Amino acid sequence: MKNELKLNVVLAGQANVGKSVIFNYFTGLHQHIGNWPGKTVEKKEGTLYYKGYTINFLDLPGIYSLTNYSIEELVSREYIAVQNLDFIVNVVDATNLERNLFFTLQLLEMGKPLIVALNMMDLAKKKGVQIHFQRLSKLLGIPVVPTSGTQGKGLTEMLDKGINLVKKQKTGKRCPFKYGKEVEERIQALTQVLSSVNLPYNKRWLAIKLLEKDNAIKTLIKNPNVLHKARIFIKELEEIHGHDSSIVIANERCFVAFQIIKKVVKIAKSPKISLWEIWSDLTTHKIAGYPIMLAVLFLTFFSIFKFGNWFSGLIEGISAPWQGAWGSVFGVSLWAGLGWSALESAIALVALVLPYILPFYLVLFLLEDWGYLARVAFLTDTFMHKMGIHGKACIPLILGLGCNVPACLSCRIMETQRERLITAFLTTFVPCSAVTVIIMGLVGKFVGVGWALGLYLFAIITIFVLGKLASKILPGEPTELIMAMPDYKCPNLKTVFLQTWLRLKEFIIIAGPFVVISGILISWAHLAGWLSAITDILKPITVNWLGLPAATGILLIFGILRKELILLMLATLLGTTHFTDVLTPIQMITLAIVSMFYIPCVALIAALWKEFGWKKTLVITLFKIIFAIGIAGLIARLLPLFMY
Amino acid sequence: MSYLSDLKPGQEGEIISIMGGLTVNKRLADLGMTSGTRIKVIIKAPFSGPIKIEVHGSRFVLGRGLASKILVKIV
Repeated sequence: MKNELKLNVVLAGQANVGKSVIFNYFTGLHQHIGNWPGKTVEKKEGTLYYKGYTINFLDLPGIYSLTNYSIEELVSREYIAVQNLDFIVNVVDATNLERNLFFTLQLLEMGKPLIVALNMMDLAKKKGVQIHFQRLSKLLGIPVVPTSGTQGKGLTEMLDKGINLVKKQKTGKRCPFKYGKEVEERIQALTQVLSSVNLPYNKRWLAIKLLEKDNAIKTLIKNPNVLHKARIFIKELEEIHGHDSSIVIANERCFVAFQIIKKVVKIAKSPKISLWEIWSDLTTHKIAGYPIMLAVLFLTFFSIFKFGNWFSGLIEGISAPWQGAWGSVFGVSLWAGLGWSALESAIALVALVLPYILPFYLVLFLLEDWGYLARVAFLTDTFMHKMGIHGKACIPLILGLGCNVPACLSCRIMETQRERLITAFLTTFVPCSAVTVIIMGLVGKFVGVGWALGLYLFAIITIFVLGKLASKILPGEPTELIMAMPDYKCPNLKTVFLQTWLRLKEFIIIAGPFVVISGILISWAHLAGWLSAITDILKPITVNWLGLPAATGILLIFGILRKELILLMLATLLGTTHFTDVLTPIQMITLAIVSMFYIPCVALIAALWKEFGWKKTLVITLFKIIFAIGIAGLIARLLPLFMY
Repeated sequence: MSYLSDLKPGQEGEIISIMGGLTVNKRLADLGMTSGTRIKVIIKAPFSGPIKIEVHGSRFVLGRGLASKILVKIV
């Protein structure tokens, strides 16, 4: 009996249809984000208790189709095809119904119980779009419920319809729509042939996929008789239509969708141009767009840094006396020292997360939900293309200015594994807020702001050159930017807060243990007196090659924990905050360059590891160490030519 | 006949064919862009940047390289 009250519900839909708003509405904080086993694709699950049912929601990634173009699409369709789910909710953007219907049709092909949530009905009405949803329901042969996720309208009704569907056991119904004669005949014939194949998939769906020459399905079926038949049909289709069979079928879907649209959608006279549309034109304008972008980004960073500096100062002020208190309670021993370093690492994590990462996420998700980030991708695509990646990569790169860890995690927005890796690699070179502390506190303060800005320029050039190289070296074709341009809309605060919270949690889970454990290890080495030995070993690099004082060796070790420690400990080690007394300007610049590039901090190593495995992480880490030391040494030799 | 990338903002074209291989063709087909589809150019980013288009009432951004592989008939 207990089993009957459990429901597995899948939310599926294209990107930007308000799927996550609906997911959040139902599951709130009862959700967790993980990865699909062995994949860097996010898996969002949540639970809702409703009318005696325990409903498990799975929010599939926002995708455009169920082909095998991206990892997300493969994962999603595999899940829908094989898993034991009770019903699928296909969230559809009512303002873009036709485009969304292509996806709905593909879901229908899979023969699973399906409901359409006709979302954003409020926006559609505003735009003058009228949708006859009862007729749409009849044409598709499935329930269609008008909803408005942001206002919470129609959502419970949608659930009720879904539960009804389950009660009636309406599963695996026949596909209600038919494709054109030539295609339909071959689909049905191939479905017949497939009845001998024993696989947990809908046979009609398999037939369609075979006709689309889907490689994943081909290898799945193996049966030579079926594959032979499929080849004959494909050849016939291609001879009739003069296109690749996959295009022929995509065309059929477009045609069916178009026919449906003609019957259900009425567009009232176009409403007057809204303020948002003017803003939309302005933010993508070929001249005005760029200053606006710079202003928005500058304002974002400036306010976050201002706020962050103030707030982290506050946290430091509160936690500073704790070390004395710790000492007086636990005394001075090895264990007390290690315990303190664990606590200190944890405090440092808090002092990074609350003042910097939290507001950064908040603003970024706000900008995203509003629709602005898509405009930034549009404006920066040309530049990104020169590095072999496309406009969407600007989002991780911008995030990197705050903290490289969320930047690395956000590389998931790129379509292919290749682009993800290149983008993540490049984000590790973006000067994060900790590096900014060093650049500004050392070079900006004691050498000159011009030189500090010069270092940023140097970082940009480095990223650009490395991007070019990486996209040349890594095998595979660069993908072109294909992205839906969402309309501007009022950000949904609940979604923004929830996103921020979940990302923050993810950050702490990934980075936290690494930061604390390595904090203990390094302080162990320090207390055991190994650090001076390490300093000696590093001397050929620090003193001979980089021309820095030997003590900097220790800094570079501690910098692995958190880069801003380099500056903080420099003051302690050298016994002064007036660095001009102990370091020449060239030494300061060299130290800043090394700190900028030399190693991903532990938190970032943890993130890279999680996303790309230890081999790639190791390669990136080693490359960064060699690159940073090499280039900083060269610059230390070149600078005297310019500075004196 | 011309390429989508050559259209000016406000101009509309009907896709004749899409060069550049099957993956691109499939990807665009999934978004409803196949031969015969009408595309309206809204805005073109400078420095051969991407172009913003309208298809079936939805807006998309396409990289310029991709747009120069889409052969259209101006309507």
